[in-house]
Amino acid sequence: MFGGRDSFFLYWLIGLALLAACRASSSSDHPPDYLVIGIESNPLQLDPRYATDANSVRIGGLIYNSLLRADETSRLRPELAENWQTIDDRTYLIDLRRDVKFHNGKPLTAEDIKYTYDSILDPKNQSPKRGLLRPLQAVDALGPFRVRFKLSSPHAPFPEQFTLGIIPASSESQRVSVNLPPPGSGPFILDSIDRGEKITLKANPSYWEGRPRLAGLVVKVVPDAMVRVLEFQKRTIDFLQNDIEPDMLPWINKNTDAAIEANQGTTFQYIGINLTHPILKQRKVRQAIAIAIDREAIIRHLLKDLATPASGLLSPLNWAYEGGVDRWPYDPEKAKRLLDEAGFPDPDGDGPLPRFKLSFKTTNIDLRKRIAEAIKEQLQRVGIDLEVRSYEWGTFFSDIKKGNFHLYSLAWVGILDPDVYYQIFHSASVPPDGDNRGRYRNGEVDRLLEEGRTTTDMTSRKLIYSRVQRILADDLPYISLWWWKNVVVKTPSLQGFVAYPDGDLISLKKIYFQSQMPAP
Amino acid sequence: MKRYLLQRLLLLLPTLLGALTLVFFLIHLIPGDPVEVMLGETASAADKEELRQSLGLNQPLVAQYRSFLTGLMSGDLGRSLSEQTGVADLIRARMPATLELTICAMLVAILLSFTLAMLAARNKGSWIDRLALLFSLLGLSLPNFWLGPLLMIIFSIQLGWLPVSGRGGLDHLFLPSLTLGLAMAAILTRILRISLLRVIREDYVQTARAKGLSEKQVWLKHALRNALLSVITILSLQFGSLLAGAVITETIFSWPGIGRLTVQAIQMRDYPLVQGCVLVIATSYLLVNFLTDIFYHLVDPRITYGK
Repeated sequence: MFGGRDSFFLYWLIGLALLAACRASSSSDHPPDYLVIGIESNPLQLDPRYATDANSVRIGGLIYNSLLRADETSRLRPELAENWQTIDDRTYLIDLRRDVKFHNGKPLTAEDIKYTYDSILDPKNQSPKRGLLRPLQAVDALGPFRVRFKLSSPHAPFPEQFTLGIIPASSESQRVSVNLPPPGSGPFILDSIDRGEKITLKANPSYWEGRPRLAGLVVKVVPDAMVRVLEFQKRTIDFLQNDIEPDMLPWINKNTDAAIEANQGTTFQYIGINLTHPILKQRKVRQAIAIAIDREAIIRHLLKDLATPASGLLSPLNWAYEGGVDRWPYDPEKAKRLLDEAGFPDPDGDGPLPRFKLSFKTTNIDLRKRIAEAIKEQLQRVGIDLEVRSYEWGTFFSDIKKGNFHLYSLAWVGILDPDVYYQIFHSASVPPDGDNRGRYRNGEVDRLLEEGRTTTDMTSRKLIYSRVQRILADDLPYISLWWWKNVVVKTPSLQGFVAYPDGDLISLKKIYFQSQMPAP
Repeated sequence: MKRYLLQRLLLLLPTLLGALTLVFFLIHLIPGDPVEVMLGETASAADKEELRQSLGLNQPLVAQYRSFLTGLMSGDLGRSLSEQTGVADLIRARMPATLELTICAMLVAILLSFTLAMLAARNKGSWIDRLALLFSLLGLSLPNFWLGPLLMIIFSIQLGWLPVSGRGGLDHLFLPSLTLGLAMAAILTRILRISLLRVIREDYVQTARAKGLSEKQVWLKHALRNALLSVITILSLQFGSLLAGAVITETIFSWPGIGRLTVQAIQMRDYPLVQGCVLVIATSYLLVNFLTDIFYHLVDPRITYGK
């Protein structure tokens, strides 16, 4: 630079040397035979008493066993339970497996089951799951391997609560502990948590179903969708489930040798309606909106076929699913006629003036905004002017709970028991006492939902919920959009993965890389 | 000088208090309820109310503010509502990552800008000068969320030299530092180039040359040193935008720093964690500005403060 460019070149030689050093030091940060899973957000709390976010529940499901677990067809099957009986409509008797040990070596007994449930019920532990156990009167250990659940009143959906992860007796409450979450008895042992970065699990060598074939798992937090895909392309991530933008799938297909699976899922996307709004409380208007939306087109173009049109909250995988409900296929001409009949004629035919204006609230996620814009465009064709308003999640959700909306779009995730209808459509479930955000009121639905809650016979319950689904499909307090498919992108050498409708990762206990010898 | 610095140091406290007060009331004003986040959808209204009471969230806002300040005085930042861990522990775990990234980004910015600005000023009007100006323009125009993935595609995917994202060794640090530091480098290059061109025409530089000093001594000892004052001002001001830029860079590069923690805390309406993060960010910013004042004096001893 000064009478020569030595210093300048020296700087850059140092820079290049550093880059070369980086290249040399860039190596895998986990032992071989570990599977690396990419997820979008940091699991907040793995302790099953507190885990509510999807990632905590899924990762926790690998560390903790539960009495029952939903299988790949969404049916509850025994896990820690050897068998379970319904003694009467308020009493369940469960016999435990005798060969289960926690990761700390302690054998699992009925006392651990009692402790887990009592710990959730203890108000001082402030568990978010306490509300789910409200019908539970007592849990009694009737011997080392037998436990009885007594309910205060008949509550048919209660067996769903047998899917809570079990922890050893005397585990500290996470509300007062800064330590790692308590040990579980699942196929993987929590090895380390690097907050905001990754969680490492190692295979449980003495797992009661046999040691997992993988040496362990690294759950890597990669918030950006595109970066997750780039990590996959570079093979620093082996497995992605659902955290993939639909737009990226064709790119993954073309640029990587990924094995991609898309299976029927249970996540239900819908449009919520404020039924106290003078226009929206008219059923014909809701029906017109339902048939003015071309779901097939949105699924094809925006979602890249990663969803299937939905007829209601319960997916065809659910035992209570009713397929014979009104489906409201796309028919814009009929939508116009219905709006005319409802008393909202188009003031200027095909001109720019709308029949009426509504707002549509959604989150500020890019795909959600694009879907909202597509719906706005489709409703415009029948003369409804939709104003799309996108908000940050906290603000959006707060508005929805307060009923401060005309239309909004959200999804229900992980539905197992049809009793969820009570929480969403019973007139007693208006926020803050439930999720009837649209303020839907129907005496017959209320009666059926109360009956469904106390009827323990499955056949009778199915009939009750069939009726509920038919009424709701006709009344349209929600406009069903689609069920999201579960999408898995994995390295082709990974064998044995089974997708679960709710995104449960439990089949990771049996998967292996093709280079490994499969267990006999 | 000492008295002035002491005054400045004392002034940090009310400034910090002002920032914390503003954030405290703002975060409580925006819609959203941490109890909803903690207890989820299934909790009864009674359970929610009970938790609200136990966390003191049902108290008037002024009372909550008072209890926050009392905790702060005793060094207690409280517990995160979403992660159920001490706020101080969470910040302590994330702070090194942000410091590492911010300092490296600053180094990248200084290294790049000093090299380019000196070359440009020395060769004013030449292709080197035009190249430096083009770099400056590009650096300012390319947003981090675009530049980051571009660098990843080139260095990680195409060349395979560096990891895509995450925190680890030096190799993990290179791309995020470059992404974060480039915009700052662009600004510094412009400012330093102009300052150098202004200073180099001053009489004392001509005198230095007349005294027979070498060009290297003239540029480094006389021109650069005097041009540094404006650069230091920009550096300290830009530190704030570096912290703000770190939020985006940390997200793109899966960097587990304070920026991402702050965003998560705001999304979860985790009031204690938001307050803790703001405390750390505001303190860092104020300290850097304080150090800048000291640095002014070191660079130019003619600058004195007070009497």
